[in-house]
This record gives sequence, structure tokens and C-alpha cells, in this order.
Amino acid sequence: MKLKQVNIAFLVTTGVSVLVFIYLVFLGYDEIKTFKDVIKIVASILFPIPLLFFVRFILIEHFMPTNTDAYKQKNKKPATLLLIGAFVISLLSMQLIEFLTQQQLENNLIFAHLINSTTISSYVLNFILYNNLKVNGILSGVLLSLAVHVFFLSV
Amino acid sequence: MNQVFNTQNSKPKTNTNKRELLFTFQSIIVTALLAFTAIAFFYYNDLAILKGIKVIFAPFLSVVPLLFILSILRDLRNGFKEGNYTKQEIIKFGIITIGITVVFTGITYLLSQIGALEILLAAIIAILSAVFFLRAKIKDILGMSIITGIAEGIIIYMIFLF
Repeated sequence: MKLKQVNIAFLVTTGVSVLVFIYLVFLGYDEIKTFKDVIKIVASILFPIPLLFFVRFILIEHFMPTNTDAYKQKNKKPATLLLIGAFVISLLSMQLIEFLTQQQLENNLIFAHLINSTTISSYVLNFILYNNLKVNGILSGVLLSLAVHVFFLSV
Repeated sequence: MNQVFNTQNSKPKTNTNKRELLFTFQSIIVTALLAFTAIAFFYYNDLAILKGIKVIFAPFLSVVPLLFILSILRDLRNGFKEGNYTKQEIIKFGIITIGITVVFTGITYLLSQIGALEILLAAIIAILSAVFFLRAKIKDILGMSIITGIAEGIIIYMIFLF
């Protein structure tokens, strides 16, 4: 039963990020004019994958930790705090960067793709292999803030 | 969903085998990225074939030495470790990876300056041979960090400089 709940959370988060992904692709549809843009987007999507393989290669231990109730109980509060913290911090920093550079994130879609694909990949990796709830909280916060930023806060 | 995760467990059990699998995946990714680079530069820079005969001989330039080296050399490293790496090793190989990434960003820039298809092809196949050499002989964290560096260097060039 517990495992099922986690899996639903996993599905929802992955679903949200895929949605952001599709939205970004459609948003940038007019921007894709040349072959060069396609290459840049493909490269930014592929960016995290070799790094993740490398990280996995080094940190081979801690394979499939047992997701016990005690572990969840212990990590519930810090994970939630980290979720909120990561959410607020990355939302603020995105706003600040947009304010400072006077550019919209939509005009630099490569970076949005980069953030999105890096976070999704590390989320999936963390979920499948390590299931560290604190890391889970941080990554969920970043993904959520990206989604909120793209959907609601950008004019 | 559970079935999806349970297939994970049918993979080889020891860490050495897992590391080997990851290394293989990484080298496949690098190969794909190199092919991608060749295609991208070929279309984007409108490369022309200057001498047709050179295209046929471009691969031999690096494949022949590779095969020779592979046939005479024994394995250079002891293979993958079963246990964890120490913190010092992780830092050391992380720095090596970053260094190789920077170097390969530069090398990809040089590749983009090449004006003829046959030279580009020869260069790409030379890098590919180096990757296969690492894959075959240096089955170690050193090989892994070099391959990761190559992949990241190509990607970083494509994102930020291309």
C-alpha cells in the first residue's frame, strides 16, 4: 500500500514535468527555425544523461533502499521543509535572473529545457535507485517552481 | 508499475557487472553523440567532398592502428572495483572529468572549423577509435571519466557555442 502511494506521487511528478516539457516544445515551436535550434534542444535534453551514468558509476552502493515507515517518519519533516525551501529559492532566483538580465525565460528556451531535463533525470534516478526523501524534496521543489514559473508567472 | 521496477532486479547482481553495464551504455551514448556531431557539422557547415577517394580511406587512418594496438596489448587496468570509491578518488576523477570536458569543448570547436568532409570523418573516427580503445582496455573509473568528459564536452559545445 505504501509503495503504491509513492508510485502515484512519482507518476504525478513525472507527468507534470513531461507536461512542462511538451509545453516548452510548443512554446518554442516558432523559435525553431533552423537545424541549429534542433541540435541545441537535443543537446540540452541529452546533457544530464552522461553525468547521471557517471554518478551512478561512482555511487554504486545503496541500491534500492528499503522504504520503511520508520524512514519515512523520520524524513517527512525535513523533506517537506526542503521542498518548500527549494521551491521558494528557485522561484525567486529565476525571477531575479529575469529581472537582472531583462530577458524572459521563454526567449532562452535552451535553459528551460536544461533545467527541466536535468531535474527529471535526477528525479527518476533518485527515485529508482536511492529513494532519498530529502533529495526527492529538493528536486520536486525545483520542478514545481519551474512549472509555476512557466505557467503562471511569465507574462 | 511494479513490474517495471522488478525488471531492475533481473540485471547482473554484482557491482562489477553493473559498472560494466554502465560503462557500455556510456560508450554507446558517446558513439551516438559523435555520429550526431558529424551529421550536424556536415549539414550545418555545408561540407563538400574534395576528394572522393579520401572518404574511403579516412577510417583506415585510425582503425588500423587501433586493431593493432588491441591485438598486442594486454588489459591495462584491473577492471572494475566491487566496493565503493573513497572520497579522495571521487574528487580526483571528478576533476579529471571536468578537465576532459573542457578539452573536448575545445576539440569540438576545432572540429567545427574543419572545411572538408573527409577530414571531419577521419577526425571523428579517430575519436571513436580512442573511445573503443578505452572501452576495450581501460575498463576502469579512469576510462569512465574520460568517456564522460568526451560526451559532456560535445554537449556543452553544442548548447553554448554552436
